Amino acid sequence: MSMLHDDVDPKAVKYSDSEEFGALVAKTQAERAASGDDGAQMPEWLEDKKPDRPLSTRRSGNRDNTLKRFPAVGFLSVFVLAFLYVPMLIVVFFSFNGGRQALLWEGFSFRWYGEVFTNGAIIKATETSLIVAAIATALSTLLGVLYVLAIDHMSRAGSAIATALINASMLIPEIVLGVATMAFIRLIGMAPGYVPLVLAHTTFCIPFVVMPIRARLQTLDRACFEAAEDLGASGFTTVIRVTLPLLTPGVISGALMAFVVSMDDFMISNFLTTAGTTTLPIYIFSLIRKGVNPSINVVATLLLLLAIIITVTSTVLTNRKSK
Amino acid sequence: MSNTTNPNIKSDKPPIGNDKTGTIAAETTTVVSKNATASKTSAPKETAWQHWFGSPHEVKPGLLHRAYAVPSIIIGLLFTLGPMCVIVAFSFMSRPDMGGGVKFQFSTDAYEKLLFRHDFFGNRFFDTRYLEVFGTSLWQALLTTVVCVALAFPIALWMSMKSAKTQQILVLLVTIPFWTNLLVRTYAWMLILNENGPINWAANLLGLGKQQLLYTSFASVIGLIYTFLPFAILPMYSALSGFDFRLVEAAYDLGARKLTVMRRVILRAAMPGVMSGVALCFIPAFGSYVQPVLLGGGRVLMVGNLIASQFAEARNWPFGAALSTVILAITLLGAFLATALGGRASRKAGMTL
Repeated sequence: MSMLHDDVDPKAVKYSDSEEFGALVAKTQAERAASGDDGAQMPEWLEDKKPDRPLSTRRSGNRDNTLKRFPAVGFLSVFVLAFLYVPMLIVVFFSFNGGRQALLWEGFSFRWYGEVFTNGAIIKATETSLIVAAIATALSTLLGVLYVLAIDHMSRAGSAIATALINASMLIPEIVLGVATMAFIRLIGMAPGYVPLVLAHTTFCIPFVVMPIRARLQTLDRACFEAAEDLGASGFTTVIRVTLPLLTPGVISGALMAFVVSMDDFMISNFLTTAGTTTLPIYIFSLIRKGVNPSINVVATLLLLLAIIITVTSTVLTNRKSK
Repeated sequence: MSNTTNPNIKSDKPPIGNDKTGTIAAETTTVVSKNATASKTSAPKETAWQHWFGSPHEVKPGLLHRAYAVPSIIIGLLFTLGPMCVIVAFSFMSRPDMGGGVKFQFSTDAYEKLLFRHDFFGNRFFDTRYLEVFGTSLWQALLTTVVCVALAFPIALWMSMKSAKTQQILVLLVTIPFWTNLLVRTYAWMLILNENGPINWAANLLGLGKQQLLYTSFASVIGLIYTFLPFAILPMYSALSGFDFRLVEAAYDLGARKLTVMRRVILRAAMPGVMSGVALCFIPAFGSYVQPVLLGGGRVLMVGNLIASQFAEARNWPFGAALSTVILAITLLGAFLATALGGRASRKAGMTL
């Protein structure tokens, strides 16, 4: 015992159970000796006795060990969660403000929600964003699915190069990608507008689509595909009727991520748009630069709601067990 | 569907298992059958292209031929690699006499402008103006990274010690800000730090008077920290989520103190996550644009803003391209270092466990 360090609480080590256990064994042995039984059968209580559980905090939710030794960890974590959520709650709170000023509370009202839903510029920008996001999501999901299903047949070097190329858009600073894409489309003579916007969005959405689909494919049992082909399905039929249905949760969650990433993008779109194709983030940016405005609170709250809905849906889909 | 049915499948085709050995076995069978057919007919020669980009084996069931990956690769080549080549090329070109764009004439003026300045008579002076901008960016990004990692470590550890169900909910809570619009998150801090905002209201109540919080470099750093915190938490959590906490018990049993356990057991296991967290915070923070503009006002000039202004107002495209090339090189180097260090750290962790 003296070898243990001071901060090791002997009570935290749950082997105290074994003392009890030992006492019970001794008691039974004594009973047996008294009854003349030579102890060939196992006593009833011992059959039910489970082995002592290992001291793992994971899953077992054991409360009296590792966690308790770092009380600051829990405190800091709650602080960090508050830090993440309080600013957004403040925005939501002020979106229900009735006053003309963004920050002067003048009573609860849906007034600014009404104003936002009838504001032509905001509706136009939202439409543009939705069109771009919808096309970019559809394109990047299609390309992402094809890519994930085909990448297995590349050699190690080929797939490493392809993966680096696909993921590069996540690594390059957005400002650089934005100005570089602008320079590029100008060099090849493409006019700014919907086409370069959609193509650029598709490019940076593909890695977000590929991630969950690839993860999903790795969990699938490839014997299903084998079985389908043995039953006479052609390679293409197997892909359409076996692989894709099994991949669906991954595909949906990838598409949702692509949609959010495209809806949120400000930096890259900023260099590719013209006056006619102002997206929602670009419009919000110009509004914010003009000064704090109550309608921004409402738009921000709605965008937060979108993020919550999409993240929850995506998480539920990813965590659902394959049937 | 389940693994147990796998060995029972009788198939004339090589079985493709879920596990590694199955795949290897399948591959060897394919190779053997290929060789058998090859000996009958003329042996197909492997070209250099096939050597690097895949051998001409059959398509695995349920998957597609590798030609289907081509559209994604083409769009990647066009809209990622293409623009990068263009920006590097533009940085070595010269500025047209008026307006934006470039003149196709080789010049290193853009890089020279980074370090030197010419006066009216053509004399050259060493100029630190742009180096200072890099310094500000570096300082803001480093501060952001350090604070993010320091705040992310406890919550990542805390999350990884919870039950599986709680972990899912906590990951969701950290992911929601991650997917929330960047402008919304930045705007939230404009509300808070505003001179009529909640902080100044509280300061007023305490009799401290109004403070100028918005449009300072402090506001810009807060905005950056707020934006990139989830980027640090998620990789650290994923490094720790598979951690076997019995190792901590073992360390205690062997007589380690709290801090020793933290440093030599937990932190070491979290190291790969810390490295990718550092990369994921530092790289985007270094090239950030929105936070310094909206929260820093005119007071914080970072490389991102400088680049944007070269392509918009000042219209010196070659100089903007040179700045882009420099931060591209810095971030790629940083990413490479983080991957290398992270890989080493994970190998080390793997060896100790």
